Amino acid sequence: MRKSVKRFSARIPLRLFESQPDERRKDPVMTRESDTSPFPYPLRWRIMDGLESALDAVWPRSMSRYSGWALVAPALLLVGILVLGLANIAESSLHTLDRSTFLPSEDYTLANYQTVADSATYWRVMWRSLLGAALTVVFTLLLALPYSYVMVRTPSAAIRKALLVALFLPFFIGQVVRAYGILIVLGTSGAVNDVLGFVGIGPFRLLFNFPAVVFGLVQYMLPFAVLMLAPALTAIPREIETAATSLGANWIRTFWHVVIPMARPGLVGAGLVVGTLSLTDFAMPAMLGGGSQDFIANAIYDQFFRTADQGLGAALALLLVALGSILVGIAIALFGAGTLGMGGKR
Amino acid sequence: MNESSSAGATRARVPEPETTAVRVRDVTMDFGSGVPAVDRASFDLEAGKFLTILGPSGSGKTTLLRMIAGFQKPTSGDITINGKPVDADPPHRRSIGMVFQKLALFPHMTAAENVAFPLKMRRFDPRTIPDRVKGFLDLVKLVGYGDRRMHELSGGQQQRVAIARALVFEPELLLLDEPLAALDRKLREEMQLEFRRIQHELGVTTINVTHDQREALVVSDRIIVMDGGRIQQHARPIDLYRQPHNSFVAGFLGVSTFIPGEAAEGGLTVGALQLSGTHSSRIAAGEPARGAIRAEQIRIGPTPDSLARCDTKLAGTILDVIFEGERLLYVVEADALPGIAFHIYHHDPESFDLYQIGAPAAIGWNAQDMKIFNAAV
Repeated sequence: MRKSVKRFSARIPLRLFESQPDERRKDPVMTRESDTSPFPYPLRWRIMDGLESALDAVWPRSMSRYSGWALVAPALLLVGILVLGLANIAESSLHTLDRSTFLPSEDYTLANYQTVADSATYWRVMWRSLLGAALTVVFTLLLALPYSYVMVRTPSAAIRKALLVALFLPFFIGQVVRAYGILIVLGTSGAVNDVLGFVGIGPFRLLFNFPAVVFGLVQYMLPFAVLMLAPALTAIPREIETAATSLGANWIRTFWHVVIPMARPGLVGAGLVVGTLSLTDFAMPAMLGGGSQDFIANAIYDQFFRTADQGLGAALALLLVALGSILVGIAIALFGAGTLGMGGKR
Repeated sequence: MNESSSAGATRARVPEPETTAVRVRDVTMDFGSGVPAVDRASFDLEAGKFLTILGPSGSGKTTLLRMIAGFQKPTSGDITINGKPVDADPPHRRSIGMVFQKLALFPHMTAAENVAFPLKMRRFDPRTIPDRVKGFLDLVKLVGYGDRRMHELSGGQQQRVAIARALVFEPELLLLDEPLAALDRKLREEMQLEFRRIQHELGVTTINVTHDQREALVVSDRIIVMDGGRIQQHARPIDLYRQPHNSFVAGFLGVSTFIPGEAAEGGLTVGALQLSGTHSSRIAAGEPARGAIRAEQIRIGPTPDSLARCDTKLAGTILDVIFEGERLLYVVEADALPGIAFHIYHHDPESFDLYQIGAPAAIGWNAQDMKIFNAAV
């Protein structure tokens, strides 16, 4: 009924509607009759027009069928180089080092893989890397989830800004510098032991052990996890949480039964990123582990640059790539590619 | 003993007071913008009744509903549900089922899990949950859809899940926050009748919020019209339509033509013209006033003489003729009232070709149908 009245206003001179009840909600566009200045063509549109005509010259319309391929070409090139490098490494992993000449052997052999499999040290390094990565994922997600939730949901712009600054600040400081910072803070005469000394305990040896490495990794990974989680939490409508409250859930149960299951794509994505980055990390185990807590990457480094056994290093590198790929493969098989928030069915 | 029994009898003879389910007293919500979103709203709602709060966007109707639900704390005023003040209770401690505008169903759960959620959260005996969920899926006609996910259900089916979820724990009060606004017209009308049926079946006290006047008239026992944060009128649908308290209510329900003028004894003065009408609010003669006449109460004919049963007749010109399916809408300008477009419904679409745009025509009505309101309100 009311619709018909509105439809009218387009057909009948405005003056006739002076007595209509909708008068004070009159369309503001219609009342601004004095504004006769021509529509200014925005600069951005002008630039786009220029770019489009330039593109037409370089990439004519008839080529549009191949546009998709042209767009992925740079990425394909990059991945291609990576694959080439991998093939190179695979090739060199099949040659053992001749200790007398310090040259790789001529014939192909799996001896390097045998060496790794037979070595208790390498097994320990591999398990340590896996355990370290797993613990880092757990602790990082535990810390990142409340952080991103507060950042996304807080009504205060000041708090959100402060959290964002705190999130991006670590990116300006390199990983090595941050590791040095941790060395200073956790050292035997560092700030933490100073405080403990005031209370009358300590000093403790807080560095060069496994927990120190995990601590460093969690500290390093937290911003990545928050960045991956924030969009997933933003995608949960506020009304869903309100609904859960009205149905009888307090905030803890709302978080457990609604927010966490709905944030699963973000949690899986963040877990994968943190997990693979930690598994392959070099600096934290090297600096905070003090040589006693090597991860696979440290072992690879030793083979390439200390022992100069390229073949063994290449074998370890390939094993690391395989390990990471298998873990990602399992995660995708379990949760589906769609859960990473990249298309798929909703 | 004698005394006490006679006292008991006396008490029994006193008629039971109407059971008030919801009592809202002077509730104000001020977000600090200077104009309160809700301004001293007060109303009582009898148990088992269906109340609709009707108003344009920004009228404060949703804010009022959210305060009853507990999502917002009133700046001042009291809300009582079944005799208990609820101001201190957070939403999850109130016994209120709510159907949200965007439904807010849980996409990671099946339909049955969605319905079971409030039972689990409110610690119902786990052994009774499956039967109860099935019973309520029956009630909303979703038998066999229990294991579907939300994206596998149609819009109407999702509505039904939302209703079942809001009612399954037998709340004292059901709140509907414009859940039908996003549906297409046919489905919306079907769901309106469903809401009515389910509400009658369970007898649950219900407050619905909408800007759709047709929905309000169809589903409600009582309607509150709100505008600018204030309750404009609280009445039965038919009384609201027939006896609007002010020109806002008259204009919001149905289609009316308004004639600005000055109040006169028993009517309205517009320039030199005297129109008789019924005063709906108290106004002294000479004060600015507005006459309102509904589109279905105006007759149309070729000449004033042809309008036999009307006591007010005006000659004019046809401005437009619009075919609306079950009826025609004429827009007529009266010669004596230039600048006013009279909207007239004609329920005989056969007469579409009777009047041409620009042709002369006459309109007329009965003075009792012309309501005169204070122009200031």
